[in-house]
Amino acid sequence: MTAGGREGRGVVTVGRAVALPVARAHLVAGAVLLVLLVAASAATLSLGRLGIPLADLPRAITGGADGVDAFVIERLRGPRLVTGMGTGAALGLSGALFQSVTRNPLGSPDVIGLTSGAGAGAALVALMAPGTVPVSLGAMAGAAAAMVLVYVSTGTGFRNPGRLVVAGIGVAAMATAFTQYVVYAMERDRAAVLSAYVNGSLSARAWEDAATIGLVLLVTVPLALLLARRMEIGEMGDEIADALGAEPQRTRVAAVVLSIVLSAGAVSVAGPIAFISLTAPQIARRLTRGTGAHLTLAALTGALLLVLADLAAQQLPIDDGLPVGIYTMAIGGAYLGWLLTREWKRGSL
Amino acid sequence: MTTAPTQVPPSGARVAAPAKGRAPGTARRAFLLLAAVAALAVAVLASVMFGSRSTPLGDVLDVVRGQADPYITTVVESRYPRTALGVLAGVTLAVAGTLMQGITRNPLADPGLLGINTGASAGVVTATAYLGVSGQAATVWWALPGALVAGVLLQVIGSSGGGNLVRLVLAGAVISAVLSAYIQAVTLSKPKVFDSYRYWVVGALGGRDFDVLWAVLPFAVAGLVLALVMAPGLNALALGDESATSLGANPVWLRVGGLVAATLLSASATAAVGPIAFVGLAVPHVARALAGIDFRAQLVFSAVLGPTLLLFADVVGRVLLRPQELMVGVVTAFVGAPALLFAVRRMKGTT
Repeated sequence: MTAGGREGRGVVTVGRAVALPVARAHLVAGAVLLVLLVAASAATLSLGRLGIPLADLPRAITGGADGVDAFVIERLRGPRLVTGMGTGAALGLSGALFQSVTRNPLGSPDVIGLTSGAGAGAALVALMAPGTVPVSLGAMAGAAAAMVLVYVSTGTGFRNPGRLVVAGIGVAAMATAFTQYVVYAMERDRAAVLSAYVNGSLSARAWEDAATIGLVLLVTVPLALLLARRMEIGEMGDEIADALGAEPQRTRVAAVVLSIVLSAGAVSVAGPIAFISLTAPQIARRLTRGTGAHLTLAALTGALLLVLADLAAQQLPIDDGLPVGIYTMAIGGAYLGWLLTREWKRGSL
Repeated sequence: MTTAPTQVPPSGARVAAPAKGRAPGTARRAFLLLAAVAALAVAVLASVMFGSRSTPLGDVLDVVRGQADPYITTVVESRYPRTALGVLAGVTLAVAGTLMQGITRNPLADPGLLGINTGASAGVVTATAYLGVSGQAATVWWALPGALVAGVLLQVIGSSGGGNLVRLVLAGAVISAVLSAYIQAVTLSKPKVFDSYRYWVVGALGGRDFDVLWAVLPFAVAGLVLALVMAPGLNALALGDESATSLGANPVWLRVGGLVAATLLSASATAAVGPIAFVGLAVPHVARALAGIDFRAQLVFSAVLGPTLLLFADVVGRVLLRPQELMVGVVTAFVGAPALLFAVRRMKGTT
């Protein structure tokens, strides 16, 4: 990957396939996000009772740890951290793709029922086939079913953002009612486990989870970068995009499919985590004060947000083992509130 | 559970379409209302007749006349509280929904959407977790302030700058999100609270007695009276803020009053039977179609249609899985959501 150019803009090229114009502000924002992400990761590994002292951290990561430290980094916090990073990146990217193609800042996979569908799928598996079918598989299937239902009931596919969101409300309502009923009908201890899962949790993740989300990113990120240029043209409006040969309709479908794959991947490893895919792209947008999809920045922001939320889940003395999704919901909700009041004062909403 | 934050309509939420053509004539409207009242009577009767087993109509009438044998009397009378609660919750939810849709001019406005149900839930959870409150009638007293706090927050955040419609809905989403996080955190760390909450949150008419009804009745009545007082002004508001002002109405006060009434009503319903979706969303649409644009007529139709829908849903839930029963909240969601999905297909244009 190379970067170069003049007057604050450069072109990042990857082979011959990708040539993205990049503003210098984006590179700076990206660098800042990376530094913060590294700092948050270091904090995750070193804070708390079983934390590895900061001074020992470089040696521990490069494989020089032994005893308890090795256990902590290889079994406890290492996989959890990497899974969280990957999941956050996937959610951020997913939201950026979706918001860009629906041209709706609130368009995000969880707004349109995918998250609730995942919860209902998990609940169904937990009720019908406890122990035999993995709950994450049920979550994936539920997310997919919710999307198919939304797609079919809009009649026009994913083209119309208004219909999409209303259909999402309907599907989410059914899915949530079902999940709540299952949580009620189950025996208490199992119901509590399911209830924690449907909030989205990163506790007790293994390297397999990290590998799963890594694989999803490996497949989708190059495709997303390929789409990025066409999507920027698409934001100018369909007619201009048509004239420039960007095939807005196909671009949109492709972006939505990618967004769903990313969300479903995230759900399968961490459960339905609220608000990251909604807020990360908006934060990324504000960091650079520009338009455009900013896919990379949104992914980085998503990773940072989830790692920070999980750090809070692990270190805050509120209650042991509260699922990380509760923290993202609280923080995301508060952020949304702040954002709205600010926009209103400026009169831009 | 992540219901609330997911329920955000597009920023360009559609404005309720004004009724097309001539408003229904008075005679036609009176006939429709009569039919609706008859349907409600049937619903009430069905709610008393059907349970884990059915009681024939003749026996029910005997009970009412005081001539039935004690066993049948006990069975039938055990269905009185849930029928009464169904009527109360149906009236309050439907009238609250009609008010909110009228004020926000958003056909998706609904107490659940605006975070008021979540406020009630947060009140109940707080009371059971930290104040040692137990028993249904006692928790009701905490659902009400919870809902009112959410309603006030909604006013403060949502109507800063003149009560923009989209802002209100977004503010509702914010309140729902933060309060849901709080509820989840408390219920997951306290197993006992989790146990009572997971039953309450589904929304059910069964397993409650008249104490609950008496506890919420004053608030429901206050809300209904306020709604009736506001109704003529809301007719003016429907013409737009400027026209309303020139007609001598104060748009800001109308909105505040309407939202207070809606909050009181939905708080009473949620406190009594738990958060029930779609009654407040769907009934106003039917009421509008039958009653025309006059708000007073819409409110009356809503008040009759709401309990009809809720009681029928409850009866279906009782008959469907005999001898067990499906709670009414599940039934309304599974009836209401497909209806919404069907309506989506008929939405015009790109919002």
